[in-house]
Formats: sequence, C-alpha cells, structure tokens
Amino acid sequence: MGADEPSKSFPLKVGVAFAAFFLATTAGMTALSLGGGPAFLRPAVRQPIAFNHLKHVKDLDLACNTCHVTVETETFSGLPAVEICAGCHAEPQGTSAEEKRLVKMIQDQTPLAWVSLFRQPPHVFYSHRRHVVVAKIPCAECHGGIADSTSPPLRVRKLEMKDCLACHERKKVSTDCTACHR
Amino acid sequence: MARWGMVIDLDRCTACQACVVACQVENNVAPSNAGQAEAGRAISWLRLVPIQGERRGTRPDLQLIPLPCMHCSHPPCIKVCPVQATKIDHEGLVSQVYSRCIGCRYCTTACPYTVRHFNWKKPEWPAPMEETLSPDVSVRPRGVVEKCSFCHHRLQRAKDKAQAEGRPLKEGDYLPACAESCPAEAIVFGDLDDPRSAVVRLSQSPRAFKLLEELGTEPKVTYLSKGEWGGQV
Repeated sequence: MGADEPSKSFPLKVGVAFAAFFLATTAGMTALSLGGGPAFLRPAVRQPIAFNHLKHVKDLDLACNTCHVTVETETFSGLPAVEICAGCHAEPQGTSAEEKRLVKMIQDQTPLAWVSLFRQPPHVFYSHRRHVVVAKIPCAECHGGIADSTSPPLRVRKLEMKDCLACHERKKVSTDCTACHR
Repeated sequence: MARWGMVIDLDRCTACQACVVACQVENNVAPSNAGQAEAGRAISWLRLVPIQGERRGTRPDLQLIPLPCMHCSHPPCIKVCPVQATKIDHEGLVSQVYSRCIGCRYCTTACPYTVRHFNWKKPEWPAPMEETLSPDVSVRPRGVVEKCSFCHHRLQRAKDKAQAEGRPLKEGDYLPACAESCPAEAIVFGDLDDPRSAVVRLSQSPRAFKLLEELGTEPKVTYLSKGEWGGQV
C-alpha cells in the first residue's frame, strides 16, 4: 500500500496545481478584460486641473461642445486647450484655489496636458461625429455620469466591445468586424 | 448595400510598382530584408507576380500581375479558420481579426492566391520610419496572419465623411491606396452592385478574366488583358 500512495497523491497534487493555475489565470484575465477591471489594475490619471464638470454643465448650463470643440466635427472629441479656458477664466470667476492655478496657467500660456480618461484599444475606429451628429446618441450613453462629477476620476475608464455591440444590435446598425476594427 | 470590387487592367499596367509601395506605406507593412525574402517570409499585401505571357511584336513576353487579396465571394480561407479570425462582411470585404488569430496558418495554405502572410517576427522599421506609421491601421504583432484589406479603414473614413455631409457614399469616395496611386490608372475600384460604376462596366469587357476561376472562389478582383491566358495563370 505504501508504494501506492505516492502515485495516488501525485495526480491529486497536479490537479490542485492545475485548478489553482486555472483560477489564477481566469481571474487575472477577467480582471483585465471585463468591466475595465478592478480600479487598482487600471492606469491612474492625474489631470492638470481638478475640473468640476457639474459646476460647468449643470450650474452654468454649458454644452459639452463648448470645451470639447471637435465633438461634432471630428472622430476625436477634443480636450480643451488653455485658450478655450481663457475665454471665461482670463479674469477669476470665483474664489477657489484651483481656479487661481488655472488663471496663472492662462497668464503663463502653459499648455494644459489633459489625460484622456476614456480609452479604446488602438485597433478600434470610433468617430464622435458619426455617433453624436448622425446617430444623435447622448454623451452619457458612453460617458456615464461624468457630467455630474465634481472632480476628475482617478482611474482610466475602459470602454468595452460588448457595450458597443449591444447598442449596435439594438439600433440595427452594422456589427461587421470591418465596421469598427482596423 | 455595396459590394466592393476591383478591376486591374494589365494592358495599362506598366509594372512600376507604385501600388506596391503605396500599399506598404498605407498599411504599416514593415520592410523585409533579403534573408526573409529568401525564406519566403517577406510580407507584401500587394505584390507583382511574374507570369510568362505570349510574345506579341516588340512587347516582352513577361507579364507582371499585381496580386492583392481577391476578396473572394466564397473565400477558402474562412472555411478553414478554426477561430473565426477571418470573416466576410456584408459589403464583401474579407477581414482579418488580428486579435483573434492564433497563427495556425491554415488560411495561408488554403488561399489559392497565396496572398496571406504570417508574421514570423515582430515588425521592425528603420529608425525614422517608425514615426510615420499610419494611425488608421493596426500594427500586427508576431504570430498572426495578415493580408490585403482593400484598405477598409478608408471605407470607415469615407462613410464617416459622407454621413456627416448627409449624403450617400458616391463613386470615388472610397479608394484603396493602390488604386489611388496608380499613375497609369490601371487599377479601378468601386461597387460591383452599382450598374453605373466603372468596375461593372469594365468587368463586362471581353478582355476580362479572373484568376483561378475554375475553383469557384468567385474573386472580386477582375483582370483585363488582350493576351491569351489559357492555362498560364
């Protein structure tokens, strides 16, 4: 019997090792590919100014294209250049410390190095013009509650193909690979 | 819905290879070295294939045929792909999904036109060229198959522009890089379902023929030539 034991326990160990490996890899893969993954796995974002979307969109009733100027004309919506901020903030509008920093940046003509928050893989062709102007899809459909945020999110938000496909199927538009991938 | 096709007029073609270079630049195809070419591992989405033709007058008897992907209506590559990495879409374009491809190379073997290429190594460009890659085309990693896409990224751009201007896509809005670059206007591209298009008119010419038609792949690339091609192509 004693001679049998190693041969019995060996497959068990292998099985456990395999199961552990499988679980670890699937968990890892899931974390990376679904739901954008847990926050700690997504790249951190540090914006040059702690922009308050809620203040501008809700309180001041500004349209998205006031700052994201190419959202209706280009594939890329555009992150505002310092000149666009200067349109209102050449003189301080409020009392916040963050605005003081902005006014200083405007005076020094420091370029605003905004970091793109919503990211797509490089093999995707996405056009804001087509979705915003032609399909008339509200910004919140993909960008969620960003308009209600008071400070910039700290992590990148990943956009996922399953959400694109769900909408494309609902609206009966092309789901061909070639329609979006390049 | 459109069905995209190409006509290549061999009587106009001067074999200048402008199309080959245009294709390579447009689609981020890394240049190959002599060693790779010798091993049959050089990648070229569109290449000129020499074929011994008939001698007529002073004309040389060597015919060079530009050979892109035929975008067959019944593509043999799709039937053998185990992971659905290659598909034919509603507009007749045969696409390659690089992120799905497992690199088994069944498709490179199945393709009777030998226009599919496997990436045996990571693509590399000489120093200044890396800065000039097209953002509209993915750079393929090592281990996947790639091929001519009929520059479908140009279709995406063209559709986007036409939609924004509130008009349907018209002839000439969408041209692959090879057709655009051809100085002899030997490559004509358009919609095979539009009876007024130049490709339809030309493909009905008595000079028209298709490569390996007997296989039933129904290529969407038609060639035009006055020469006798029986059994040689």
